[in-house]
Amino acid sequence: MKGWHRYTITLVGGLAVGLGAAWTITGGGLSGGAIVNGPWTTSLGFGTKATDPVTRAAVARAGMLALPAKETVYWSAKTDAAGAPLDGNCRYSLSGTPLDARWWSVTIYDAAGYLVANPANIWSVNGANVALDNKGEWRVTIAPAKPAAGAWLPGTKGQPFHLTLRMYNPGQAFRADPGKASLPQIVKEGC
Amino acid sequence: MRNWLGPLAFGLIVAVATAYAAIWAIPYGLMNVAIERLGQGGVNTMSYGNLATPERQPVVRPSPDLAYSSCPYDISGGPIAIDVAPVPGRYTSLSIFDAATDVIFVRNDVEADGKPFRIIVARARQAVPKGAEVVRTDHDHGIALIRLLLKEPAEIGGLDAIRRQSSCGTVTKLK
Repeated sequence: MKGWHRYTITLVGGLAVGLGAAWTITGGGLSGGAIVNGPWTTSLGFGTKATDPVTRAAVARAGMLALPAKETVYWSAKTDAAGAPLDGNCRYSLSGTPLDARWWSVTIYDAAGYLVANPANIWSVNGANVALDNKGEWRVTIAPAKPAAGAWLPGTKGQPFHLTLRMYNPGQAFRADPGKASLPQIVKEGC
Repeated sequence: MRNWLGPLAFGLIVAVATAYAAIWAIPYGLMNVAIERLGQGGVNTMSYGNLATPERQPVVRPSPDLAYSSCPYDISGGPIAIDVAPVPGRYTSLSIFDAATDVIFVRNDVEADGKPFRIIVARARQAVPKGAEVVRTDHDHGIALIRLLLKEPAEIGGLDAIRRQSSCGTVTKLK
């Protein structure tokens, strides 16, 4: 083998490894953030000039056109309260108290971050359309089949899912310590 | 084996350089894709998008609660003006992103006291109308996005006329 053959092979290999590494490094998505609160993770550096190239590329891949934290905090959950991956075959209780924000919503996506068709055409619940019980809590069932009572966020059988919690104009108390804020509970009830 | 030491070192350098370059380039590439997808209605003009559904998802993680209006811009030929008409009592915000996907400006309806406002987006040396509120950028391309929050998707019918009062276009008069 001639010398330039070896250089050609390592050039091609180097390009491939470099591209693969770039894709892997920036594939952490929104969960690559620094703040963890139960199953929810976020980074307050989204959408600002201060973020490093890796975060910028990861955000561009996972949440293109995301707003900065003072405008919106995006939380991402891929697991339930027990740490098990969210599974479209299972029934979950999503519940909490009204969040410290001007407006909030929880949206269900597939693992790639896209909406999945469902017969009810429901992909999110928000602070304006959930009812509070006498303890001041709201509760939503995430399941492939519509629950007998209460609000429903349809899951898709045979597919894992991710949840994104958006908090628009979060309150000062929340922003002071997002890691300790009271966020919705995601509890698996059965499969 | 010794014959491979040079080529392997070279390959390693290529890999590191490629990774750096690719990580740097990813946002620009994805912004170009977004401009293309959101720019069906044209560049430097506001498109009043339909609500996100499984069939219509121009970007990853679209919010089904938001009515997005978007203006993919190109200011290489001159500045653009963005006029925003907030919808009373509803979260409305204008955010402007540059070609690197960085946010270069954000204002919501509360910060605007619920009143309409105009923002000029211009390169460093471009002339702008006197007294205008100007956002300077180092890039020619990007996207201006207006978000309007809905309590229910069905609300869009009643709010569409107000959101269409927001617009975007090339600045033609400097006075």
